[in-house]
Amino acid sequence: MRHRTILEYKHYRYLKFATLVVIASIVAYAVYTSPVGRYGGTPMGYTLGTVGALLILWLMCFGIRKRRYRGSSGNIQSWLSGHVYLGTALIVVATLHTGFQVGWNVHTLAYVLMLLVIFSGFYGLYAYLRVPQLMTENLGEDTLDSIILKIADIDREARRLAVGLPDNINQAIQDSLQNTRIGGGVLAQISGRARKCPTARAVTTIQASVRQFKGEDARSNKDLYALMLRKQALVTRARIDVRYKAILDFWLFLHVPLSLALLAALTAHIIAVFFYW
Amino acid sequence: MKVLLITQTRNKKGQASRTQQPLVVDALRIGRGTDCKLYLPDPRVALHHAQIRHGTDGSNYIEPDTGTIIVDGNINRAGKLQPDQRILIGPFELIVLPAQPDYDLVLSVELIDPLREGVDEVRSKVRAGLQSTWLSKRIFSWIAGILILLAFLAWPVINATGPEKRPSPETLLKADITPDASWDVGPLASAHANFGRNCGTCHQQPFIQVKNEACEDCHKTIGWHFPLKTADAKAIHAAVFPDTRCASCHRDHKGPNGLVRTDATLCTDCHRNLKAKHPKTAIPDISDFGKDHPEFMLSMLQPGRPGEGGAGAIVRVPQKDKALARENSGLKFPHDIHLSKKGVRGPNGTAKMDCINCHVKDEAGIRFKPVTMKDHCQSCHSLEFEPKVSTRQVPHGDVDDVLATLKEFYAQAALADTPIDVVVEAGIRRPGERLSETKRQAALTWATDKADKIAHDLFADRVCFICHQITPVVATTTATDSKPASWTIAPISVTRHWLPKSRFPHSQHSTFECGKCHQVTGSKTSADIAIPDLKNCRDCHGGNEPVRDKARGTCETCHGFHTGSHKAGVPAIIPGSNQPRGLLSPAAQVKQVTTDAPIGGATK
Repeated sequence: MRHRTILEYKHYRYLKFATLVVIASIVAYAVYTSPVGRYGGTPMGYTLGTVGALLILWLMCFGIRKRRYRGSSGNIQSWLSGHVYLGTALIVVATLHTGFQVGWNVHTLAYVLMLLVIFSGFYGLYAYLRVPQLMTENLGEDTLDSIILKIADIDREARRLAVGLPDNINQAIQDSLQNTRIGGGVLAQISGRARKCPTARAVTTIQASVRQFKGEDARSNKDLYALMLRKQALVTRARIDVRYKAILDFWLFLHVPLSLALLAALTAHIIAVFFYW
Repeated sequence: MKVLLITQTRNKKGQASRTQQPLVVDALRIGRGTDCKLYLPDPRVALHHAQIRHGTDGSNYIEPDTGTIIVDGNINRAGKLQPDQRILIGPFELIVLPAQPDYDLVLSVELIDPLREGVDEVRSKVRAGLQSTWLSKRIFSWIAGILILLAFLAWPVINATGPEKRPSPETLLKADITPDASWDVGPLASAHANFGRNCGTCHQQPFIQVKNEACEDCHKTIGWHFPLKTADAKAIHAAVFPDTRCASCHRDHKGPNGLVRTDATLCTDCHRNLKAKHPKTAIPDISDFGKDHPEFMLSMLQPGRPGEGGAGAIVRVPQKDKALARENSGLKFPHDIHLSKKGVRGPNGTAKMDCINCHVKDEAGIRFKPVTMKDHCQSCHSLEFEPKVSTRQVPHGDVDDVLATLKEFYAQAALADTPIDVVVEAGIRRPGERLSETKRQAALTWATDKADKIAHDLFADRVCFICHQITPVVATTTATDSKPASWTIAPISVTRHWLPKSRFPHSQHSTFECGKCHQVTGSKTSADIAIPDLKNCRDCHGGNEPVRDKARGTCETCHGFHTGSHKAGVPAIIPGSNQPRGLLSPAAQVKQVTTDAPIGGATK
């Protein structure tokens, strides 16, 4: 059976519902006329605003539901499917609520934050649909842990082989053993690259000294070269894996704080509107 | 196939212990995956590393799946298993043991290469997962949420609820930013911008909609839709406009021009069928200027002095009624002579006149400044009375002033040396000669007679009568004398605003010749009213819906909603006049024309 994504959950149940919400909002907006124009301050504006605010609250409940592993309120797939579709519908509802009027104020701040949350969510959805496949392609049957074990094996063998070789090679191998880092800071994780990787340098060093050796040393050097090439490939794969994990995570570091910022701005927006009614 | 698995483990001293596990399987799957019957939990083993099948020939065959197998030192060679063969699967060594009864295969399994030192070192160089960095969803959320609540909620609320701390309007105007600026939903109407930074001017109570009183604090005289002077009017108003607030129509924060409604429905919602709202109304139904607007009614000033049977009052007359729609202004003014293409004879020869010589737009460009004797008439219609010797003119306006001026002038002439033919009884007076009582009496008599004669000349024969209706007044004490003692001038009653319920900005129509709407070139009398009629307006204006080659004509194009103020429908106050209602009463006018006051025809 083909894998079904959360977008197709229950035969697009939430897509249908979200479409209904969007169409109803557009029709209501188009049909309703007011002598003072179409904007958030008319009865229709209040209605759309209430629908939008309730949607936001419900969408934010997903963050709570997600953390309750034994929640009884529907399964998490169902919630996520609804989260995606109703979050998308919110763009239309909230935009109609604004009546296409924006300014430098807390009201537009709430609207912009909402858009940022939704679009960061779109990125997250894309990442969730795309990245796992890339991770599998990258790791195959390995895991990050198994790669680490393999690197450890290589390191052991490399240390043994390098002992008999000249200092510059031995030094390069030691550097590779001690200073090859996988992941690290935010940028290192997201880029999946390391500048001046000691393992890459070791490969270059060994390759450059191929012709210096004869006999047993030449064989050791050749074996060492093969080992470091394997290590380099493993390290690259490990870094890519870290990068994919970071991509899967990073958007949430925007999505979640922006959601909370939106909740604060929404609160300020609603209170401001009725404070100076 | 039946398999006997013998798992061999060793303690720290290297002593082996064995456990046996009989299995019955179709094929023996080997791997890290939990679905493998030979389960090898080590990261160096693939999920489905390899499998062993029992062939139809009774032999066992091994083949790699996704992992690498080393059979007797040969990599990845599939093949028939022989007793004592050693198979390496990752760190595990499998040995094929000699067959036993009841088993197709006996296999020993041992972990020969356990995870060793060096792994932790590699692991210590790995830092995966963004949660291990400085990024934190929780801290970011708290910071963003709290900053927003402080800046956009707490600060404005504290500012709004602590009036004693509120800065003065002057400070607010100068401030770069105010606490509640972030709550401002949009630019204010231009007139409100000056106090707009002080939100409390209009938003006086938190969580209460802006009250009408807040508007009426400044807009004291705006009035409602009709005057609410009687109980009846108030009852109608309550019935027609229940729960209507100023803000029902006027929503601010919509830009410099966003405060006033201009949609036709504002009016036609009620006026298309007004009887439904107010059964006793006399106002005809109207839904669209282009379709069913009634003919204009002219608001005319009743002639005569105040107190003389309705004089000074305004009556509304159908424009189509040619008998009623005639003005009785008390003035004589034939437009045709003044606007003749051949020109009109003046003191400096023939002059060609145009409308703008007399009708000058006011500063707003909406209507016209009053026409005055001094500015617009007197350059031709001079009030000189002895042009041969003097450029002196009699004052315009008060009859007594005219008579006094004449007497003073001729008394002076009789007593001083003048080139006028002063004829006194005993001949010519010598310079330095002191007049006798008789001579003085004779000079005074001469001067009085001369003044009377010239006055008669001015009023009745030469000057005043040209424009005014003059009536001689005969003094009762000298009833036998045919000479009038004085004159009366008919009161001036010039209507200043014919259509006061509408507005007509002349400046917006300045692309047209005056004559396009005001046909006066053939008018021989001041009784003619040259106000354009409904058809004239419709030549250019359509109704609520756009019409080809016509400007739109919604209700709001000409009318306003707030007609109920004490000023509504009344002409503007005349400069220099003390008339509270702006109407120029004839009595006041007679006084005022002596200065700079208008004589009428100023507005259309």
